[in-house]
Amino acid sequence: MSVAYRRRKIDPMHFDWDEQQLAFRSTVQAFLSFHLPPDWEALAHGPGSHAQSAFSKRFCAQLAHAGLLVPHWPQRWGGRDADAWTAFILAEEMWAAGEPRGGQYMNVNWIGPTLMRFGTDAQKARYIPPMAHGETIWCQGFSEPQAGSDLAALRTRARAEGSNYYIDGQKVWTSYAGHADTCFLLARTAPGRNGISIFLVPMDSPGITVRQIPSLIGEGDIHEVFLDDVEVPDSARLGDEGQAWDIVRAVLALERVGIPRFALASRMLSRAVAELKATGRFCTGVVDQAAQARTACEAARLYSFQIVDQRQRGITTGAEASAARFATITAERRVTEFVIEHVPAALAGGDPLLRAHHQRAIVAGIASGAAEIQLNMIASDLLGLAREPR
Amino acid sequence: MDLTLTSDQAAVAAALDQLAAHFETKPTDFHGFALASQGLENALAEGQFFDVALVPELGPLSAALAVERLSRLPCTVEISLSMLVRPLLFADLPRPFALVEYKRPGRFVANARTILVTDGEAMGIVQPTPESLEPVDSIYAYPMGRLKERVTVEPLSAARAASTRKWLRIALAAEISGLLHAAIATTVDHLNDRKQFGRPLATFQSIRHRLAESAVLAGGVRWLALKAAWTADDADAALAALHAQQSATQIVYDVHQMLGAMGMTLEHSLHLWTYRLKALLSELGGRAGQACAVAQYCFNSD
Repeated sequence: MSVAYRRRKIDPMHFDWDEQQLAFRSTVQAFLSFHLPPDWEALAHGPGSHAQSAFSKRFCAQLAHAGLLVPHWPQRWGGRDADAWTAFILAEEMWAAGEPRGGQYMNVNWIGPTLMRFGTDAQKARYIPPMAHGETIWCQGFSEPQAGSDLAALRTRARAEGSNYYIDGQKVWTSYAGHADTCFLLARTAPGRNGISIFLVPMDSPGITVRQIPSLIGEGDIHEVFLDDVEVPDSARLGDEGQAWDIVRAVLALERVGIPRFALASRMLSRAVAELKATGRFCTGVVDQAAQARTACEAARLYSFQIVDQRQRGITTGAEASAARFATITAERRVTEFVIEHVPAALAGGDPLLRAHHQRAIVAGIASGAAEIQLNMIASDLLGLAREPR
Repeated sequence: MDLTLTSDQAAVAAALDQLAAHFETKPTDFHGFALASQGLENALAEGQFFDVALVPELGPLSAALAVERLSRLPCTVEISLSMLVRPLLFADLPRPFALVEYKRPGRFVANARTILVTDGEAMGIVQPTPESLEPVDSIYAYPMGRLKERVTVEPLSAARAASTRKWLRIALAAEISGLLHAAIATTVDHLNDRKQFGRPLATFQSIRHRLAESAVLAGGVRWLALKAAWTADDADAALAALHAQQSATQIVYDVHQMLGAMGMTLEHSLHLWTYRLKALLSELGGRAGQACAVAQYCFNSD
């Protein structure tokens, strides 16, 4: 008996891409195929490097010209009001290719939308067009030496004087800071969780010093940023004083599922399996591990579908985003462990994209909120477990 | 892509919730392993729920949702093969269905009216006489039985066997999904109620994280099962079954650990889900069998 009745006239819960979505994915793939240079995979190493930062500006400008940088943004800001699935397909294809947008993926995913929602007209006019044209790199000044997962402990201080603020403090683990034009910076304007404010700070402001931190992730990825009496006008503050916590929570909900890591992980797994098959090493035991890694990738992808579906419907995403994130962390771990065990040359002169993937994957459980924080949110908000005493 | 239930699907879900409400509690005097419910069987038959997959507005995805929902109940009847395999491939054959692999005991075999038998890649159909079947004493939380004598097997073609195996995987994943969610839910209740060192166990981070990881696994099983029911794709079915058995292996151990001695008792309901899960871990070749299927369908072009 066939299952022909599965294709119904009504629009039921389903897992199919429609023709428009399939066409959009093909368009993005064709663009990548045409515009990525032959040496792209070697260049993909070091997402904040000089070479990739320079490339990302050329590439993002080309994307913008083709209408593929911010299709999900409003027309007013250079987009075409495309839906959340379009944004997801775009992100998936970009990440699977090794993320040629470099740090600009943050502009597209959350910095631009956050400014649209919370920014003043002047802030929008100043900052959004360069993002929509692919001309600018931002960095995220959240973490500090004493404030990582416990963001409320941050100490960087913004002192109001007249119509200016003067910012003193230190940020750390700041991605892309070496090439960033602007920092989305958190600083304390009063004590307590509700005393944190957001400032949009030009990185060429006097008093800012950036030091690259050599890291396992690759060249130019993480930095220390020192702020010594950095003067910014009132107009650089995003939202009201003390509003940072609310804005950041909205931002992190976008960011947690902003990177479809499973897309590159899945592609790298296939590449590793192909190499093992070609050399007759895809045998019992190895097959089991590969299958489990593929399963983890697919589970993570479906979790992300749930989040995108909620976004599409205007539903505020809760701890489901943490579950999606943890599933993605698991997928990254399974694939990197598989590659390390079975294709060890990936980290020693072998396939450069396998190596670049490894370097990005190791931060999956750390960046954008540690895995343990996600698990706590799942425990309380999805499962309903009693909260820990504080 | 649309992950919200239609009004038709939501109506079926609501009707199932209403029906299930009568079977949510284990009788206090039941201290056995397999809590088979003739009342649930009758209610499902009366409501024609076994044929949900054949209703044009509903289809296999709704059947998978139904299997998932009903598997959360502490009592059991033969649902997953009847809802997801029989309607799609053997609609003219009588239920209950059962699966016998390598002549081993299987769930619901003693009362089955149609049996799928497998031996390696070969698969066939048996329509047994009651005399050819017998129950088996078991600590699995399904009524277990076996074929006690040689029976006539009508072999399936390779293509039909492959299709059957695919829907068996989807049925397996949907059933495991429901069982996992119920096992986790009862564990949450215990962790919130049980106090040690002056506070609920639920407030200890080592436990919170462990159960949160279980919840992520179980959620993944559900999505993979539903997607496979929709696409009817061999690769999706293999991925769903593998993730289901892999997750169940870990979660069964973890939830028993979290319930401590309480979970060892037959007074508590936990085993009604975990000892069904244990029965499902070996089906269709277990994790190794699903991994081979994933390799066959997902890595063939690599």
